[in-house]
Amino acid sequence: MTTSSNPAYPAGTVITGKWRKSRFIVRRVLGKGANGVVYLVQKEGSRDPYALKMGFDTLDLQSEINVLMSLQSKRKTSESPKGGPRMPYLLEVDDFKGPDGDIPFYVMRYIRGTSLHHFIRKRGHEWIGLTGLRLLEKLNGLHRFGFIFGDLKPENVMVSDVGRVELIDYGGVSSIGRSVKQFTEWYDRGYWNAGSRTSDEGYDLFAFAVLVIQMLNEEELKAAATRHLPQTRSAAQLLSIVQRSPKLKVYAEWLGRAIRGEFSGSREALKLWKETIYAPAFAGKLPGKTPRWLINAFALSLMVACLACLWAFLS
Amino acid sequence: MKQILLITDGCSNVGTSPVLAAAHAFQEGITVNVAGVVDYGTIGELGSLEIAEIAKAGGGVSRIVGTRQLAQTMQMMTRKTVVQTIQQAVNKELKHILGDATLEDLPPSQRSQVVQVVDEMTETTPLQVALLIDASASMKPKLGAVEDAIRDLMLSLQAREGMSELAVFHFPGRRSGEDAVMDSGWTKDAGALRSLFQRIQMRGATPTGPAIMKVIDFFRYGTLNGHDTWREHADEGEGMLGDYVV
Repeated sequence: MTTSSNPAYPAGTVITGKWRKSRFIVRRVLGKGANGVVYLVQKEGSRDPYALKMGFDTLDLQSEINVLMSLQSKRKTSESPKGGPRMPYLLEVDDFKGPDGDIPFYVMRYIRGTSLHHFIRKRGHEWIGLTGLRLLEKLNGLHRFGFIFGDLKPENVMVSDVGRVELIDYGGVSSIGRSVKQFTEWYDRGYWNAGSRTSDEGYDLFAFAVLVIQMLNEEELKAAATRHLPQTRSAAQLLSIVQRSPKLKVYAEWLGRAIRGEFSGSREALKLWKETIYAPAFAGKLPGKTPRWLINAFALSLMVACLACLWAFLS
Repeated sequence: MKQILLITDGCSNVGTSPVLAAAHAFQEGITVNVAGVVDYGTIGELGSLEIAEIAKAGGGVSRIVGTRQLAQTMQMMTRKTVVQTIQQAVNKELKHILGDATLEDLPPSQRSQVVQVVDEMTETTPLQVALLIDASASMKPKLGAVEDAIRDLMLSLQAREGMSELAVFHFPGRRSGEDAVMDSGWTKDAGALRSLFQRIQMRGATPTGPAIMKVIDFFRYGTLNGHDTWREHADEGEGMLGDYVV
């Protein structure tokens, strides 16, 4: 067992598995989760990059590995719904003999990309519809296997440069019906006094709704989270942000239903999201829409042309 | 499974050593966790040492945090302790079966099965948590945050599949000799945990040790004065009179 105070391993460190003897070379730190540190590594004798997660606690990490293995086996035995986790996700599970004892680790597929909020900030709000759709597909895939993601937040959603979406950090994944293992204040239904912390599909959908609000109106969300006393925090405050923000207007119906817990499940939520983002009203909002000045200019030029014709005709 | 979660911001200064009291609790099968709450400055070397020692003697964990992280910390400690207690029991079983092996010594494939069992038990084992709140004068500005954190903990416990109950106590009592006061008996209902501390009168003394002993009694007998119920009635009369005079 090791603690979070342990410094990260520098690039070049060779991590040898105690049981399977595979060797991985550390390239850099990718990030820190609640359960451990994730490194970008290269398997010796191979050029493919992998992500390697070293756990702070054997039990916590194994619990996470169990979820991944269970997903992997369910994936094998069933025809996976679209958007289900792409496998093989889990490559190897082993222990590393560190200076202060054994450290458990697992090796998974490396997902190249930027976290969702950075991606949206860089590429623009018009990407929310598509990345949101893909994220909902991922969540629906998990739900169909009997799990919820739990700790849904922008940091845990990776987006590739062409907008492909992957969930990372499965430490919060919990079986439906059980208590949510890991969560983060803002995105937690319990934090907003809007429902229980028991895992159901609505829990992830609530977090998704907060995530959308955050991407489009972070200031007001922050204000609502800090202005109110914990016991007076409520779903109504989130709903009022949705009503007030022009940017959130197109998503208002979807967000309202997710926050009030009115979806029967992620299938229905997915369907309404699709309808929302492909509705004509929404399509009109996409940039690519003809700017007003261009329409005016076109109308003017048409008028001038008509006048010119008329003048030519008369003379 | 039984736990005491002590929330304090400093050193005890009256009566039995809290470390000894926590050791007694552990002996009774009750794990003691300690949250040290500080918003400004530090808790002092002596205070933080005591907090660590109480948790150590009580077989639990301790953390020193600000009020903002209190809810999260309390929940983390409670869960961690449940897992730890179960893991200790499972490790004991493993030793029976496999000799000197612990979870960490098993190859990953076998470890996976053991952890499945631990996870299952973590979720389903009945759990009782007694919260013991230091209500000495310096804690006064923090009690609002403590109450919120208690409700948040209840919400998390309610989500478990197994039965979960909370009880809340504070110390010291209104008069000398009253080491702990019950604010709420065993409850599964977050609604029962509203405006817990409004009527608390703050006093200077911090009898942490005696208060822990009282809560151990509560676990044993279901009341704070289990072994001398006859005195309870006399005390109650006096308490009411006291209230009336004030």
